[in-house]
Amino acid sequence: MTSRTPVPEDSTVLDEPAALDEPVAFDAVPWTVSARELRADHEVGSQLRPLRLAARRPTASELTIVVAAVAAAAAAAAVVLAGGIAASPDGFAFILALYILVCVVAGLAWRRARPWSPYGLALVAYGLAVSLYALGTTTQPLVHSLGVLLQIPGAFFVFWLVLSFPSARLDSAGRAVIALAGAVLLVGCLPAVFLVDSLSPTQPLARCAARCPANPLQIGDSESLARLFGHVDAVGHAVVYGLILTLLAVRFARASRPRRRLLGPVYLFAALLFVSMPVYQVGVNLFGASPVASSPAGFALTATTILFPFGFIAAIVFAYAYVGAALASMVREIGVSASVTGVERVVRQVLDDPKAQLAFWLPRSRRYVDRHGRGVVLDEEDTSTWRSFEGDDGEPMLAIVHDAALDEDPELMDAVGAETMLALENRRLQEDLLDSITALRASRKRLVAVAAAERRKIERDLHDSAQQLLIAIRIQLELARGEVGPASKLERQLDRIAADLDRALDELRSVAHGIYPPLLAEEGLAAALTEAARRVSVPVELELEDVGRLPEEIETAVYYCCLEALQNATKHGGSDVVVTMRLWWEPHLLRFSVSDDGVGFVPGQSPEPTGLTNMLDRIGAIGGRVSIRSAPGRGTDVDGAVTVSP
Amino acid sequence: MSTAEPKNAQTVRYRIVVAEDAYLVREGIRQVLAQEDEVEVVEFCSDLSSLLQAVDRHEPDVVVTDIRMPPSNTDEGIRAAASLRASRPEMGVVVISQYVSPHYAIKLFEDGSARRAYLLKEHIGHRNHLMGAIREVASGGSVVDPAVVEVLVESRTRAKNSPLAHLTPREREVLAGVAEGKSNAAIAKSLFLTKRAVEKNINSIFAKLDLADDTDVSRRVVASLMFLAETGVPVQSVSS
Repeated sequence: MTSRTPVPEDSTVLDEPAALDEPVAFDAVPWTVSARELRADHEVGSQLRPLRLAARRPTASELTIVVAAVAAAAAAAAVVLAGGIAASPDGFAFILALYILVCVVAGLAWRRARPWSPYGLALVAYGLAVSLYALGTTTQPLVHSLGVLLQIPGAFFVFWLVLSFPSARLDSAGRAVIALAGAVLLVGCLPAVFLVDSLSPTQPLARCAARCPANPLQIGDSESLARLFGHVDAVGHAVVYGLILTLLAVRFARASRPRRRLLGPVYLFAALLFVSMPVYQVGVNLFGASPVASSPAGFALTATTILFPFGFIAAIVFAYAYVGAALASMVREIGVSASVTGVERVVRQVLDDPKAQLAFWLPRSRRYVDRHGRGVVLDEEDTSTWRSFEGDDGEPMLAIVHDAALDEDPELMDAVGAETMLALENRRLQEDLLDSITALRASRKRLVAVAAAERRKIERDLHDSAQQLLIAIRIQLELARGEVGPASKLERQLDRIAADLDRALDELRSVAHGIYPPLLAEEGLAAALTEAARRVSVPVELELEDVGRLPEEIETAVYYCCLEALQNATKHGGSDVVVTMRLWWEPHLLRFSVSDDGVGFVPGQSPEPTGLTNMLDRIGAIGGRVSIRSAPGRGTDVDGAVTVSP
Repeated sequence: MSTAEPKNAQTVRYRIVVAEDAYLVREGIRQVLAQEDEVEVVEFCSDLSSLLQAVDRHEPDVVVTDIRMPPSNTDEGIRAAASLRASRPEMGVVVISQYVSPHYAIKLFEDGSARRAYLLKEHIGHRNHLMGAIREVASGGSVVDPAVVEVLVESRTRAKNSPLAHLTPREREVLAGVAEGKSNAAIAKSLFLTKRAVEKNINSIFAKLDLADDTDVSRRVVASLMFLAETGVPVQSVSS
């Protein structure tokens, strides 16, 4: 897990790290299986590749929406052009169609990113509804007036879109502001509607001015009253916009960094609109500024109106861009900190949430615990402060307890969650590997211990049965010999039998000792090795420290390894070979060596002395190491070390 | 356990407890000792604890014990000898063993060689072999089976960190003579020393090998064993 590719610009955000493609480090079958599992786990993470989202094939409902949007835009443009009373029918038809399409596209993008959130559909609905603004540029008086009045719910829709972004839920401050806007509507805008002789769309390009049809809703003709309500409306609007701007500023200031990244584009474009809108209205209504689109206020309003829906698209693009960057840094950081604490630290850093916490699912007790093993209670009803992540089997693996703000950042949470699972899973796999290596070593050790126990048992059986029986016969034979006359034929025969029996006893003693030297169990390594050295025919120099008693498996392994080396030297060393056998302590290390000055051999070439693998196996089984060095004419050195825990 | 048939109290010189867990071997010992008028076997035992109880009961002159018996089947005989060395210093112990390994013999003599004998079981049928050892230990001496010595003689191992390293070259020469079974006079003659000088050397050797307390005969046996165990110099025999 050392080299991980940083996130590239294309779609392969979470692609396989190059290191895992190389099986060179894993030569045995179980290891390659693990490597494949690692790869499979990477795929889990890859399902969430954010930037691939845009490449997903459109669904039927999305296609329907697109078709409806195109139709709505085209119809709206056609209506504007047919009405012909707008200040600039071509211009307004174009920006209206563009606005509709941008809103719908932004809505679809949101829907894709967060299918569970109503926000995307709200944007789509807003986009489609905006097409009705075209009615405000028609000549039929009632249709015209109602079309113009649609601006009122339209404005409320915009307020809602901005204030409820991105959760599609209004908080209390948002509701208060909208309520205030409603009040302004009641005391300013609505009365004015019934007093003016003609209604005109606010949009500079849509204004009809002198070409406006009469207002069929007019019930009074007090021009001064109408102007008064108009002023109230304009000022009220300015207050509402001012409050909204303040609210947005406060929210933005309080937001966490990931949240700001999301809010930023939407709030920025909304703020531009919410500044230019009252400036234009107050300027035109109160100060007689030029309402045309080419005036500074008119141009600003037109431009900010067109820009507004792009804020939503920018927010999504920024969110994904940030997720990519966050993942890149996470992959980098987790690569160097393998501990659970390290992973949690990286998660906190990437989420920009210093209180974020990892909770690990315990499948057996079916609960979450933190990294200290303490229980973590997650509120099933309120999932805004935590997010769980499932493994391949659908079983929860992990939850991230986070700041409520991050609930609005699903791209980030999903990506961080997937990466965290991957990191933890890799750690687990590594631990599993270590576990199985440990288990393997333990079972090898057990096998060796079982073999040693078996040898001791055979030696004991030989001693108890055959050896004692032969000894008893030997004693009886000697007694019988005393009974027969000296120099008789029978005595000579008994002598021969006695000699045979002595040889049999010697053989049996030698076999029993070869199977298991009782001295090893009774007196330890030094005594047993001394005894072994006495039994070979070549001179052996002994430098055996009294190493005391050690665990049985260590004594057995070292004994047989030395014995093997000793026998090799005796068998293959040549006629004049002298062997030196050493046994000594180094800190926590039992060292032994068997060296001879015999003919040696070429390592790796047959015929190698037999038993080399035996030596390696025996010492390997107890986690020690042996080096065997030899060269023709240079003798053989067997050098071993076994770690002995104090 | 079983007791041997009572013998004429006049002729009996040695009252003996025998411990041997293998039935057939035990019967062999019974037959060997039944031939001897000087010996009365007061009890046959088959493990360490019954041996020690029998010793308490009979206070025998000599114990003949198997080296390897229940409960642990390792070196009970040697342990019994060590414990009797402390509790009954006058009691002789003959350890019978199937091990030719000198290690056990040396271990038996570790805390003093007086009244101790190490015999191979297969040889106890030989006329006078076991009886000779019983007489020797009863009179304060030591015996090592010649087969054990032979192992040392034939072995060609040399230990580098042995107590013999502290001996002077002259002391080593004298000890070699002892190990060859020579008398002090013979050693003096072969090394062109006075008999007095040989005795001085020998006392120094015993002190350096920590063999201060035993009789001269047993000290010579142990020193010889040690010498052979460490040097492997061929000699004829050390058995007494």
